[in-house]
Amino acid sequence: MSETKKRERLEVIRDILVAIKHNRSIKPTRLMYASNLSPQMFKDYITELIEKKFVKFEAEGRDEDKKEYTLTKKGMDFLNEFKVIENFVQNFGL
Amino acid sequence: MSALDVFVQNKEFFKVVYALIISLICTFIVLKTHKFFHLSLHQGIRYLRNAFFFYGLAFFTRYILGAPYFANSMGILYGNVMDSLFQFFLATGGFFLLYSLIWKKVDTKKHFTSLWHTNLLFFYTLAIIITVIDKVWLTYSALFFSQIVVFLIASIISLFNYFENKKAKFLKFYLVAMIFSLAAWILNALVAIFLNWNQLILISTYLLNIIVFLIFLYGVFKSTK
Repeated sequence: MSETKKRERLEVIRDILVAIKHNRSIKPTRLMYASNLSPQMFKDYITELIEKKFVKFEAEGRDEDKKEYTLTKKGMDFLNEFKVIENFVQNFGL
Repeated sequence: MSALDVFVQNKEFFKVVYALIISLICTFIVLKTHKFFHLSLHQGIRYLRNAFFFYGLAFFTRYILGAPYFANSMGILYGNVMDSLFQFFLATGGFFLLYSLIWKKVDTKKHFTSLWHTNLLFFYTLAIIITVIDKVWLTYSALFFSQIVVFLIASIISLFNYFENKKAKFLKFYLVAMIFSLAAWILNALVAIFLNWNQLILISTYLLNIIVFLIFLYGVFKSTK
């Protein structure tokens, strides 16, 4: 059995957002490796993050192949408040 | 004149103050957690907020909107409607609080709203059944029994949560709040069924309830600063 504790959903989201923040913008494959997720899990999480408007997936020019993930203001706010939210969720057993 | 006599003679006034304190605490909790819910969209936060939303509504309905009935300025129909709404909101609040502790195990699908989905339909139906039974029997027995079961389960879950995560400082207070709530519901049932609404014990349940809501308020303050 693995000794590494399974990451909570909020921690996975934080890890993805931190990886994007550190790179300012990042390509899908690199982000998937950086966030340490399987392709299916990565797809689920990133779709959710785009839906929630935490992350944008766009290219600077018109070249579709150059699309990269970047953080939105909402994503940045989430990262700033992450500790408080995590603390709240743990304290109330949620 | 003893303090108990003062309370009994001004009972309706104290009930309004009691309801105002609890309604304000609930409003504060719902507003204070708004930002965290909207940032994280965390379902647990959502259900916890719903619990306090319904608790706030319950106390506001019963003791503030219902105050004219107790002052004899509204008819019996008005009193009955307020009382039924109070029971429904109170039961629903308890169910949401329990659901906030178990949602991870039972929520298998993503829901667009936390106020209405199939799992919650069960709780709403139960709350309606409880209200109807009590109205037909002219008691509060179904409400008392259901909430004793809810808080017994919530106390057990809180105990496990406390032992599993010692780092979260508020969990021990959460456990105390659940045990106090359970005690308050048991006392309520005893007072209503066996003790002919003994005023002294009734005051104790009101005080216990206020302590429980203050514990939650403290937890929200402490966890969000």
